[in-house]
Amino acid sequence: MHIVDGALSEPVLAGGALLALAGVAYGLKKMDYEHLPQVGVLSAAFFIASYIHLPIGFSSVHLILNGLIGLALGWAAFPALLVALILQAVFFGFGGFLVLGVNTFNIALPAVMVYFLCRHGIASSSPRVAAIWGAIGGAGAVAVTTVMVAGSLALSGEAFWLAAKATLIAHIPVMLVEGFVTAAAVLLIRKVKPEFLHLAEDWDNA
Amino acid sequence: MRKFFVLLVMLFALPASAHNVVGGVYAIGSTIEGEAGFSNGDMASAGTKVTVTDPAGNVLLETETDEEGFFTFEAAARVDHLFRMEMGSGHVLEMILPADELPASLVGGAVASAKPAAKASGGTAVQYDDAAMQGMIEKAVAKQVKPLRKELRAFQEKAGLQDVLGGIGYIFGLCGIGMWWRQRKQAQAAKTA
Repeated sequence: MHIVDGALSEPVLAGGALLALAGVAYGLKKMDYEHLPQVGVLSAAFFIASYIHLPIGFSSVHLILNGLIGLALGWAAFPALLVALILQAVFFGFGGFLVLGVNTFNIALPAVMVYFLCRHGIASSSPRVAAIWGAIGGAGAVAVTTVMVAGSLALSGEAFWLAAKATLIAHIPVMLVEGFVTAAAVLLIRKVKPEFLHLAEDWDNA
Repeated sequence: MRKFFVLLVMLFALPASAHNVVGGVYAIGSTIEGEAGFSNGDMASAGTKVTVTDPAGNVLLETETDEEGFFTFEAAARVDHLFRMEMGSGHVLEMILPADELPASLVGGAVASAKPAAKASGGTAVQYDDAAMQGMIEKAVAKQVKPLRKELRAFQEKAGLQDVLGGIGYIFGLCGIGMWWRQRKQAQAAKTA
């Protein structure tokens, strides 16, 4: 999911950097400091999740977890993901520094979208409904990210539909797994620590 | 449940693009060999286009990789050679072969200090001139070194546990700085209040 240096044209790189910068600035502003440890933990989770490739069959896939991060952090997903992506570039050589902005934006914006679209769902009084919305969030964030990655490549001149289709098909298993993981995580967190998903306020009324 | 698991495993078997592109170019005499692949061990798919340019950006050759992500290029001049490959889905690999790894006998190279031709050939039937000998040695060494190159690259690509722990440490450290900063601000606010 990381685009590497050299694949994108300069306007796309600059645009991505600007958008990511705006998102990070807004995320830092919105982040209340009680949630700082949580941001750190999820940032670390993302850092690891992308490193662990599951070598099954003749290829390998890795989790992205941006749906779960979005549900838990909202706008704070931007700074959390930026930090994790910088460290991935430093330690593992994933992506690169020039494309950092584009990569951050492509992964963090779907996370924020999931936060606004699915937050209501996961606060539902029925665990079933909550799990379904969690799954939608987990799978949806990956889907949107793949489309945005394909879009970034298209803006730089590569054929959009080919790239979009290839990345989308390749990530169907990831979407399924992320859907299950996020749904399970939502169910668990609802039980043991609802404030982790910013649910504390709605919780008593639900 | 088992059926579901089998289904899941089957779905995983779909091709998915791996992260990093890796590759290398090596000079053996005036022949440049190169290979490209992904960090998970897959080689570049057959027919991946390789564009070779000189430092000025002039395209010298466009070639394609074979099934093993392998390609060769015959250098005609002693200049830096730039290799660029588009491997799909945002994977681009750029490699440079520096001019000084190419033999000096090519166009643009410094004139090889011609050593006095071998004297006193103590009865050997076959005689090689220096350049041919050099080429043969380079070829032989390249053959021996090739598996080592592969192994070394695989090793370099494998990030260790230290890297993972280091990354987590950085993240937690950043959080610590944030909290400390916040604490200071609160303490200052309390003092002035």
